[in-house]
Amino acid sequence: MEYAVKRVGYAIFVLFLASLVTYLALRATPGNVASSVLNPATTPPEVIAELRAELGLDDSMWQQYTDYASGLLTGDLGFSLVNRTPVSTLIGDSATYTVVLAAAAFALAFGLGVPIGVLAALNQDGWFDRLVRLVASCMQAIPNFVLALLAVLVFGVRLGWLPVSGAATASSLILPALVLAAEPGALTTRVTRTAVLEQIAADYTRTLRARGVPRRRINWIHILRNSLSPIISLGAIQIRTLLGYTLIVEVIFRWPGLGTQLVQAVLNRDYPVAQTLALLLAAVVIVSSTLSDLMYRWADPRVRLGGSEPS
Amino acid sequence: MTAVELPQFTLVDRKRSRERARRVGRVRVLVLVGYGIIGVFGLVAQLVPSLEHRMTDQSMRDTFLPPLSPGHLLGTDVLGRDSLWRLIGGLGVSLSVGLTAAALSVVLGLVVGILGGFFGRAAEVTTSVLVDVMWAFPAILLAIVFAGWLGPGLPAVVLALALTGWASFARIVRGEVLSLREREFIAAAQVLGVPKVVISFRHLLPNLLPVKMLMSVFFVATAIVAEAGLSFLGLGAQPPTPSLGVTLAEGRDYLNVTWWPVVIAGGVLTVLVLLLNGLSDDLRDRFDPKLRERS
Repeated sequence: MEYAVKRVGYAIFVLFLASLVTYLALRATPGNVASSVLNPATTPPEVIAELRAELGLDDSMWQQYTDYASGLLTGDLGFSLVNRTPVSTLIGDSATYTVVLAAAAFALAFGLGVPIGVLAALNQDGWFDRLVRLVASCMQAIPNFVLALLAVLVFGVRLGWLPVSGAATASSLILPALVLAAEPGALTTRVTRTAVLEQIAADYTRTLRARGVPRRRINWIHILRNSLSPIISLGAIQIRTLLGYTLIVEVIFRWPGLGTQLVQAVLNRDYPVAQTLALLLAAVVIVSSTLSDLMYRWADPRVRLGGSEPS
Repeated sequence: MTAVELPQFTLVDRKRSRERARRVGRVRVLVLVGYGIIGVFGLVAQLVPSLEHRMTDQSMRDTFLPPLSPGHLLGTDVLGRDSLWRLIGGLGVSLSVGLTAAALSVVLGLVVGILGGFFGRAAEVTTSVLVDVMWAFPAILLAIVFAGWLGPGLPAVVLALALTGWASFARIVRGEVLSLREREFIAAAQVLGVPKVVISFRHLLPNLLPVKMLMSVFFVATAIVAEAGLSFLGLGAQPPTPSLGVTLAEGRDYLNVTWWPVVIAGGVLTVLVLLLNGLSDDLRDRFDPKLRERS
């Protein structure tokens, strides 16, 4: 319990530092926000001065940061510089899309990766195992935007089976989710395969077999349960990778999620939006890694009682 | 020291040792091929200024020529530029960005990792907080933020990749240093009063060599993919600089007209990553016998 409180406190501290980083990286840019939105050559100086005052650019750095931070805490996230929509509305609209896409990819990666990994391990060095290993290493080598383009080319342009742009129909989800799931799925398969192979060689497996427990029960209940802990700790790392990939895959499929929003905001120098989105994504990563640390401790008594930190 | 006769094993498993020899041979060939390719494109990257006109010459009459057209082995792109030269230039850009970013990440990671593992409690806490903050951001996200800061372009890409890469490396180096500092030779040096900085340079750095080599290759591969991804989004290389990412982005817009620019550039990028992955697997096998036994 004491550990949990410490861990959460640390997570809040890291989150605070992350907010400083996003703030500094995006706000302390050479060339100020006001002049990148309004062209100084054509706009009267009064208008620029007005915008500067409204954005609080004349205040000190620290004053600006505390304004920004208190805005974050009270839910006042400011306005987009481009179209004047409140940032909270923009995020609310796009977050749902990103959550749907990432959840679908996550479910695919684990839903397919774990059973395929188990089957490959049970069939070690057989044709299925070799095929799985080949496909998995290809999936890990193809950059996901290349895979996305190939998917667009084959299923969208050539065959015309699936929509490749936007999120108008439910079937629009299929291609982006599959592309996003490819690499995490391949990694999950490999980790599962290795973990299961280790368990197959364990003494308890031999004992279970000697006692006449059915093969299927040993494989899918005893071995799978004991192989879960590396798969769980992989999950937290996967969330971070998946979020990073979502940014690119969303842009390619014109999926109206946070990634498309963020890339747009950065290209348009729309700081209030970019800053909040970057911090939001960092917060998701921090929360998920904290949760996985806590879960890991709860799930594995050896870590909990051993007194040493899981590395 | 007197020579101690070591017991000689006369029973050698012939099949096993032959297999091992073959494997080592294969490893060597792959490593050579890998370095050869990297060397060739590194050279081309050096020559880019003098070859630049080949990569940027446009001709509006010869747009979208298919591969094997006269004078253009891989055809031409939307502006009638020669695809093969664009590809070579793009690979040169990829490799120079990858190598620079990897070198910077490795140096930063070594400094932070050794500080965190060897220079006392305060340094340990500070560096691990730094690493955790960096880790909170997906790599691509930080790269986008930096591209927004410095303006789109290759310097922003290199800086962003170096600054995201070091964190994971620092964590690995720290782990290695923690185990190294328990070893007798480090303890002996400390007892003799050798300054920590000298121990770091003379004893820690050489012993971190395998990790350094492995991670460098890994960083080059990830940096190449990240550069292509950022250039694809319009945040990396700016026209007319050739880049695989830019070629892919242009190819995407004309996918209805022609498919081969996307397939060729994507294929080349994938093969490059596969090669580098193979190289790092081989390095790991050579340096880490424990891992070899297990896999």
